[in-house]
Amino acid sequence: KQSCLMGFASHKVLKIVAAPSAVNPQCSNLNRGFHRAALRLQDESKSDKPPSSSSSSSSSSTTYHEHYQATEHDTAAEASQHDSASDPAAEQPERPNTSYQDQSGEHGEEYETEEQLQSRILTAALEFVPLHGWSMEAIAAGAETLGLSSASTGMFYNGAGDLVLHFIAHCNSQLTEILAEQHKQVQLGQAEPKKTADFLREAVETRLRMYIPYIETWPQAMSILLLPHNIPDSLKHLSSMVDDIWYYAGDRSTDMNWYTKRAVLTGIYNTTELVMLQDSSPDFQDTWSFLDNRIQDVVNMASSAKQVESRKNPNLICGLET
Amino acid sequence: MSAAAHTAFCGWSQVVSPAMIRQCLKCRVPVLQQSTRAYSIFPTPLDSEEKEMLHRIVRVDHAGEYGANRIYAGQMAVLGRSKSGPLIQEMWDQEKKHLQKFNEILSENRVRPTALLPLWNIAGFALGASTALLGKEGAMACTVAVEESISEHYNSQIRALMEKDPERYTELLQVIKEFRDDEMEHHDTGLEHDAEMVPGYWLMKNVIQLGCKAAIYVSQRI
Repeated sequence: KQSCLMGFASHKVLKIVAAPSAVNPQCSNLNRGFHRAALRLQDESKSDKPPSSSSSSSSSSTTYHEHYQATEHDTAAEASQHDSASDPAAEQPERPNTSYQDQSGEHGEEYETEEQLQSRILTAALEFVPLHGWSMEAIAAGAETLGLSSASTGMFYNGAGDLVLHFIAHCNSQLTEILAEQHKQVQLGQAEPKKTADFLREAVETRLRMYIPYIETWPQAMSILLLPHNIPDSLKHLSSMVDDIWYYAGDRSTDMNWYTKRAVLTGIYNTTELVMLQDSSPDFQDTWSFLDNRIQDVVNMASSAKQVESRKNPNLICGLET
Repeated sequence: MSAAAHTAFCGWSQVVSPAMIRQCLKCRVPVLQQSTRAYSIFPTPLDSEEKEMLHRIVRVDHAGEYGANRIYAGQMAVLGRSKSGPLIQEMWDQEKKHLQKFNEILSENRVRPTALLPLWNIAGFALGASTALLGKEGAMACTVAVEESISEHYNSQIRALMEKDPERYTELLQVIKEFRDDEMEHHDTGLEHDAEMVPGYWLMKNVIQLGCKAAIYVSQRI
């Protein structure tokens, strides 16, 4: 099993080393330099180890440090674990949303990959967003709370974009967890399956409520997401979120319905998000009623389409009325 | 399909052993649980490369079976009432089964279907109908050309999967092999029924095969 891990680790090494190859190789060395400096600082100023999502065992900082020194020249040190961090695609080609499945996978040695470290810094940075906005200052402040130098922001080539994408990925994985939990409840018979329209409404509301703590600065975040170099990633996140919601709503279509349903939900989600930005009603009531109306519109459209179709072809089914 | 089987099984086994009764309790779970059954075609992808490869395979195979379905529908529309009607119907029914299987695999594994499905809908039907207008030989020639393309395509997929890891992809390989054998059977049936007698056989066959290759290339990506 250990050899299997190492085999896997070497595979991961190739991936991680290859990923920043588009960047100046000196930068990637600088990257690793930062990482090591960050780790050393962390060791020295260690009073309590921040709860890393990757480690469940309580190993002492000395073994961490020893092991780290023993493999100092081996870049496999950075890649000995599954990527359990939901780090946005800044470093990795794979969709970050899938990484939540690796949560608390194998805990080989007490390492942290670079992605995990970045993820921790960005998570810590989130609490400074109301103060500094979505910016490098927030990331620097976050790094400082972890006991790292604020120069470790050099790791983040995309700056504020990294922070926003990290937050979005985090929200998406939270949403998926909630939906999966509900799905399990229904399967166990402990909960009633909801009608599709209600399911969609609740899923979108749950997801949008995650923005409430940052609603003041959310317009800035949205504009960052619209920057050309961030658009592929933000679209990826959006499409995987919408796919997840439909999957848990029970959609198993294999034809053009697959596309139309997702397009419709994307439209509903985006417009509701925009409404939420300038909603000043208590607890965003106006937003939720807007959402409700939009979903109702779609349901009505679908049922009239169904009526027309069923006169032509009795075998056609459309899922939105169930 | 499995839900109906489950409920039938439940009713019958009320009287029998506790093991069967336990299985019966699982029946109450709604159809959504299909994804957690023990037997599954796909292994869970280890990384995004493998996922991309497997998704492409399923996407293009699904598109292929969908297209083949429509081709036979087109042929039936023209030749349905002729002597070769029952023969074409039989081949069509097999393709329907293939399509159903791929529908299941696609939805269970959350693979995106190709966006060009409406195009294959129309193009397939048009191809089937127009070749059938050349008579039974024309329809058979079309069948031969398409089935040969599809068999070649399945063979290359089988080769690719075998090169990677035959054990990991056993179930998927089994499905593809079975379908490839069916398609070869259709190809041979077509040849038996005077496909080569149609005027311009060589030209028609090559044009159709070129079209199939293009369709396969595009469906993998879009």
